[in-house]
Amino acid sequence: MDLDPVIQTFLIEAKEQLEEMEEKLLSLEQDPGDIEAVNAVFRAAHTIKGSGGMFGFEHLVAFTHEVESVLMRMRKEELAIDQLLISVLLSCSDHIRVLVDCTGADGEKISEQTAQVSQALVDKLSPYSAKGGQAHEQSGQISQQGGSGTPDKSEPGSEQGQPGTVSDNWHISLRFNASVLKNGMDPLSFIRFLATVGDIKSVHTLADKLAAAGEAFDPEDCYLGFEVQLYSRAERKDIEEVFEFVRDDCTLTIIAPHSKTEEYIALINSLADDDAKLGQILLQVGALTPKELESVLQTQMAVPEEEEPVKVGELLPAQGVDKQVVDSALNKQKQSRERQAKAKASESTSMRIDAEKLDSLINLVGELVIAQANSALLAKQSHISNLIDAMASTSNLIESIRDNCLKLRMVPIGQTFSRFQRVVRDISLELDKDIRLTTSGEDTELDKSMVEKLVDPLMHLVRNSMDHGIENSAQRVAAGKPEYGQLALRAYHDSGNIVIEVSDDGQGITKEKVIKKAIENGLIKSSKGMADYDIYRLIFEPGFSTAETISNISGRGVGMDVVKQNIEQLKGSIEIDSRPGLGLTMRIRVPLTLAIIDGFLMEISGSQYVLPLNSVIECLELSESSDIKEITNNLINLRGEVLPIIRLRELFACRDRAPQRQNIIVVRYGNRKGGVVIDRSLGEYQTVIKPLSNIFKGLEWLAGSTILGSGEVAMILDVAGLFKNADLQASGKNTGLY
Amino acid sequence: MAKTILIVDDSASLRQIIKITLTGAGYQVIEGENGQDALDKLAGQKVNLVVSDVNMPVMDGITFVTELKKLPLYKFTPVIMLTTESEQEIKEAGKAAGVRAWMVKPFKPAQMLTAVQKLIM
Repeated sequence: MDLDPVIQTFLIEAKEQLEEMEEKLLSLEQDPGDIEAVNAVFRAAHTIKGSGGMFGFEHLVAFTHEVESVLMRMRKEELAIDQLLISVLLSCSDHIRVLVDCTGADGEKISEQTAQVSQALVDKLSPYSAKGGQAHEQSGQISQQGGSGTPDKSEPGSEQGQPGTVSDNWHISLRFNASVLKNGMDPLSFIRFLATVGDIKSVHTLADKLAAAGEAFDPEDCYLGFEVQLYSRAERKDIEEVFEFVRDDCTLTIIAPHSKTEEYIALINSLADDDAKLGQILLQVGALTPKELESVLQTQMAVPEEEEPVKVGELLPAQGVDKQVVDSALNKQKQSRERQAKAKASESTSMRIDAEKLDSLINLVGELVIAQANSALLAKQSHISNLIDAMASTSNLIESIRDNCLKLRMVPIGQTFSRFQRVVRDISLELDKDIRLTTSGEDTELDKSMVEKLVDPLMHLVRNSMDHGIENSAQRVAAGKPEYGQLALRAYHDSGNIVIEVSDDGQGITKEKVIKKAIENGLIKSSKGMADYDIYRLIFEPGFSTAETISNISGRGVGMDVVKQNIEQLKGSIEIDSRPGLGLTMRIRVPLTLAIIDGFLMEISGSQYVLPLNSVIECLELSESSDIKEITNNLINLRGEVLPIIRLRELFACRDRAPQRQNIIVVRYGNRKGGVVIDRSLGEYQTVIKPLSNIFKGLEWLAGSTILGSGEVAMILDVAGLFKNADLQASGKNTGLY
Repeated sequence: MAKTILIVDDSASLRQIIKITLTGAGYQVIEGENGQDALDKLAGQKVNLVVSDVNMPVMDGITFVTELKKLPLYKFTPVIMLTTESEQEIKEAGKAAGVRAWMVKPFKPAQMLTAVQKLIM
C-alpha cells in the first residue's frame, strides 16, 4: 500500500495542530486560567501522538507523550501555569515541529543531535511531570494502543473504579402531580412498563406528601413520588418515552449512569464541527431529549426581558443532564465555532496545488480573455445578432472563470498575522517590555505571492514599533498610558486595494527628531519648505535611523528603505501616520492582485487607455452644467467640491485638435479625489495586465499595458501616479513625458 | 382476567387492525363507530382503556370523552386519542376533557400496543 498521501495528510494535520498548540500556549500565557486553551493544547499534542503512532514514528510519539503528560497535569489543575512552564512548552512545541519534519514516507530519521535536544527538553519537563513510574506505565499503554485515535481511557477508567457499581444505573426521579389519577394515568403502569426497557434495580417510594396532606387527603389524588434505579442499555430518549403520556402530570428527571456521561462526552467530542446550538449538540448525542430541551427553552423564555437572560447551559443540570456533559458540549460548541472561524482563516481544508500549475492556468485564462475580446469584436462587426448573443454569454462565463481563477491565488492574511503572536511574545521577553498584539481583518484575502513578500516588511515594522515605538513601562506609566504596550495588526479592503496597518500606542515619531537626524546624516540641509508628509517620508531614505541606541532587534537603520522598496515592488505604497506621544501607524497599501483587473477603457487622440475600474467614481461631460461649475485648466468645481483635474491630452502632448466635447472621469486615489479629462469613454473592459519593460520604469503614472481584442496595445494608467506627477509638475519639478 | 379496551373510530378497517393487534396481545376489545355508538355499546360495562378517534360523525371524540368522564365508572379510565396531525387546538380541548395520551396517525400496530402497555400494564 502506498502510504505516502496519508503521511502527507499527517504532516499537514500535524502542522495545523502545532500552530493551534502554539497559539493556545500564547493565549494561556496571557490568561493562565483559560482551561479551554489547556484542553486545546492537550488535544493537539494528543492528536499528533495518536496519528504519529499509526505510522510508527516512535521518537515523535515518545517525546509528545512526555509533553502530553505535563499537559494532562495542567488540565487536572495539578500544575500552576507560569511563564516558565509556557516557555518550556513552547520550546517543546517547536521541537515537535522539528520531529515532525524528520518524518516522512520512509519513516522517521532522527539525528543524534535532535535526539539530544529531545532528551534535554524531557529533562526540562521532568520537574513538571508526574512520578516517573506512572509515566512509564502509561507510555507502555500508549504504544499498545498504537495511537488508534481513541481517547486515552486510562484516566477516566481509574477515576471511575469504585463508584462505578452504583452509577452504572440510570436514576429516574418521578414526582407525580395530584391530578394524575383523574387523568386516567396509573403511575404503577408506567413503572411496570419501564421494566421493558431495562432491569429495575430498585424503586424507592416517597410518601412524604401523603403525611403532609393530613386532613386534606383526597383518595382521588396522587401523593407519591418514586426514585427508580434502572439498569439499561437503552438511550435516554427511550427511557423518556416510557413516560410520554404522563409528562404533563409529573416532574421527570432522568440522570444518566456515570458510564453514560463518559459516552456522551466522547460522542460530543467526536461530532463534526458545525454551528450547532448547545441544545442541538446534546440532542444529537442523546444526552437530552427534545421534550427536555423544549422545557428548558420555555424556562429560558419565561425569564422577563429586563432580567439577565439565563443561559441554556445553566438550566440543563436541573433536567438531570450531567454538568460534565453540558460542559463538554459547551466546549465542543466553542471549539467548533473557533475551528470554523479558523478554517476560514487558514488553508486547513485546502488542496495543495503546485504553484506553477496555477500560474500557467492564470496565464491561459489571461490569453482566453484576450481571445474572447477579439471574438466579441468580430462578432460585433459581423452584425449577426445570434452570434453576438452567444459571445455575450461566453464572455460572462469567461469573466466568472477569470474571477474564480484569481481567487485560487488568494489566501487570508490571518495565518501571517498569527505568526506574529509568537514574534511579539519573543521580542517582548527579549526587550523586557510587556507588549500585547491584537489583530483584526484576518479574513482579508490577498494574492499568495504577495502575502509571502509582505512578511519581511511587516516583521520589520513590528520590530521597529516594539523596539523604538513602545516605551518601557516606567515611561508609559509616566505618560499616563497603560503599563503594557499595545500593538495592532489590521487588514482591510479599500477601493480595490488591501490596506495593512501596523499600529502601536508608543511615543510616535516627532518631526523635530526626524529633521535633526536627517540633517545629522546629511540627507537634507534644512527642513525649510518641506511639508510634514515629506518630512516623515525621510525615514524611508537609505541610511536613516532614529533609534538612539542600536539594538539587535530592529537593525541598524538599514531597514526602512528596504521596507519601502519591498512594498513598491508589489506596486504598493506605505504611509506614516504619527501622533507624537500617542502612537504610530504604518499603513501599507497593496493592490489586490497583479494579474487581471476590471478596467475602464477610454480614448485620447485615437489611442486607447485603461484606468482601473475600482478607482472610477463617475463619468461626466466636461462642460458647464448643473453639476460642474468653474472649469479652469487644472481645477473644477463639482457640486461644490473643488477637484484637481488632469488633462491627459496635455500630459501626452497630443498635437491634434481636441474633440468638441470632452469627458471627465472622476477618480479616487487613496483618500483623495480628482478628475481625468479624456476624449471619449469606451466602457468597462477586462484587462489582462502585461508588465512594462524597463524603459517605462521612470513613469510612475503607467501601471502596465494590455492587449485589446483588436490586437492593439493600450496603456494602463496609475491614478495615484498621475496625480503625483501633476503635483510635481505644479511644484516646478517636471518629470512629465518630455 | 383479560383487560378490556374500547376502540372508537369511524373507520372499520382501522378498528380491525387495532383489534387484531390487541386481541393478539391478550386484550378484549369492544368497538364503537362513533362517540354515541360507543356510549351505547358500553352500557355500564367496565373497560380498562379507551382508544378514540377525534373526527367522527354523530359524536366527535372530544365530546365523547367529556361525556364518558362524567360517568363515575369511567372517571379514572385512561384514554388514548388518535389525531391526524398535532392539531394544537384539538389537543387543548382534549386536555381539558382529561386526555393525556395522544397518537398521531398513521402509526404502526406495534406502536399502538406499546402505548396501550404503557398505560395499563
